[in-house]
Amino acid sequence: MTVTVLPEVAGTSRATLRRNFWRGVWRVLRRKPSRMAGVGIVALFALMGAFGPLLYPANLPRDDNALYAPPSLAHPFGTDFEGTDVLALVVTGARYVLLTGLATAFITVALGTAIGLFAGFRRGRWDTALMRLTDLNLAIPGLPLLLVLSTVWKFTSPLEMGLVLGLLGWGGVARAVRSQTLSLRERGFIEAARGLGLPTRHIVGRELLPSMAPYIAMNMLIAVTGAVYAQVGLFFLGVLPFEANNWGVMLNLAVFSGGALTTPAALPYLLAPLLAILLLTLGIVLIVDAMDEIFNPRLREE
Amino acid sequence: MTRGAAITRRVAGHLARGVVMIWVVATVSFFIIREIPGDPVQGMYESLLQKGMSPQQAERATAVLYGFLPKGTLWDQYVGYMGSLLHGDLGQSLSTPGVQVTHLIGAAASWTVLPVLAGTLLSFLLGVTMGVYAAIRRSGKLGDLLALSGSLLHGIPVYVIGLLLTAIFATLWPILPSGGPVDVDYVPGLNPGYIGSLLYHAVLPVVTYTLASYGGWILAMKSNVVAVLGDDFILAAELRGLKRGIVFRYLARNAILPLFTILALSIGMLFGGSIFIEEIFNYPGLGLLLVNSISSRDYALMGGTFLIITVGIVVANIVADLLYTVIDPRVRSGGTA
Repeated sequence: MTVTVLPEVAGTSRATLRRNFWRGVWRVLRRKPSRMAGVGIVALFALMGAFGPLLYPANLPRDDNALYAPPSLAHPFGTDFEGTDVLALVVTGARYVLLTGLATAFITVALGTAIGLFAGFRRGRWDTALMRLTDLNLAIPGLPLLLVLSTVWKFTSPLEMGLVLGLLGWGGVARAVRSQTLSLRERGFIEAARGLGLPTRHIVGRELLPSMAPYIAMNMLIAVTGAVYAQVGLFFLGVLPFEANNWGVMLNLAVFSGGALTTPAALPYLLAPLLAILLLTLGIVLIVDAMDEIFNPRLREE
Repeated sequence: MTRGAAITRRVAGHLARGVVMIWVVATVSFFIIREIPGDPVQGMYESLLQKGMSPQQAERATAVLYGFLPKGTLWDQYVGYMGSLLHGDLGQSLSTPGVQVTHLIGAAASWTVLPVLAGTLLSFLLGVTMGVYAAIRRSGKLGDLLALSGSLLHGIPVYVIGLLLTAIFATLWPILPSGGPVDVDYVPGLNPGYIGSLLYHAVLPVVTYTLASYGGWILAMKSNVVAVLGDDFILAAELRGLKRGIVFRYLARNAILPLFTILALSIGMLFGGSIFIEEIFNYPGLGLLLVNSISSRDYALMGGTFLIITVGIVVANIVADLLYTVIDPRVRSGGTA
């Protein structure tokens, strides 16, 4: 059951360190099957985003004889208002959703980390000013602002959407990274580095960032879920033009044109994208839980 | 003496930050209204000219709608817009001509504020109680289950909860109305039929608000109780042989305090969520007003609603902070303890 850890040979190389790390990951994952499920779910969605659109022809086939068809073997989630297979819509729509999520997460984390590190490391006047800005970023009502912004800028491409959502959402990460920096910079190893006269670039890049990396990675995953919700929600509200198929467009069409909330016939069309969102959330929540334990040894239930 | 000064200073700080935020939001909406493709302000002005109005009349009519003149420099327009905002004038609605934006917002506000407050209160009570249980039973099945329900509900977006609830309780098993604030059959007023219908229609929206913020409460309360459980005074109380009920009260009182700071954030979040909830349940609150103003290109109404939602969040922040000051003795005495 338990993996026996080999006694470490003198002069441990980086490779064995890495192997031990992956062994630890494997152990944490195996202890709770739900975590394995989380990894499986997220891998499935990643594959869907990467290869999903290749599985289907560019224009999804329509079947005029089967509008809002009930679930069957050929159409596991039924068909939509044009007779297109709902499962195919979910699979091909995943790429847009995930790409936007990744773009947003990247911008959120890059901005948040940079601002948090700078504020926490410099302290003083810069810190005060940046934290005021962060407070404003956190307090501003994001969704109303997005809606109002959509009147002047149709930010539909994944990169534009990522940019908008990232610029609105970095506050939480910045605040957290700043407080981490403030506590880390008083620790012995940072003081030692400073005492040795190492350049700031080295201290921040080689000492501070690596010790925060797991934390930042977790925030990145959480930012992906946030971005998925926000963009699906924006398309659901119908304030952005529908250029590509994605889950939010499906929700909008199901509810406001398909009448999915009044007739059970269109219900599978509504439930399929909802199910996809729920599964993706579940997968990410489970992985974050596992990461928490991998990187935070105090939580390990040995 | 010091207590009053401390509270005044805190409130003043909040007010200052709130004013800055409202100013930022007003500036943003001014520039957005001005930059909208097709320039609705100029378009309005020109169409009025074509109807045979004199330039002065058309200018004044446009200014009544949008709060600033169609001509002049950017700075003049900005000052004009801010000036009319300071007078409490948000302009006139375009989609319902001749009606002041403030009037429409006033009519919509109660449809948002009351359900949001009800949802916040319910989720707070439910989440805090369940959070204590989840903490005490944290090594058992029940605790695991409660914590999982918290993380899942915390992670699920509001509109998914709303749509699922509607799909279940209005479509598949139709026991609740799928939308609208009230049945049209009843005469508005204090008669039992009308009030009953109001409550009946409010069930799904309020339950959605409740579930949307329940997850956050249970998670926060659980981690607070776990932290307090390790404190010495709990051990001392147990060693003194105090009754479980009293220990429980010590526990809950200390764990609940930090939650009041989240209360403000939660209300703000629900205000944002109201956009989805009102859209799904066709509930005539501020969120629906905002979405409808955008789809009907009623930009004065859009700017006004955005501003009022922001003001609502600022006010909620201040109220929550005041509440915190009243409850926490350390803040009350000036933060020296």
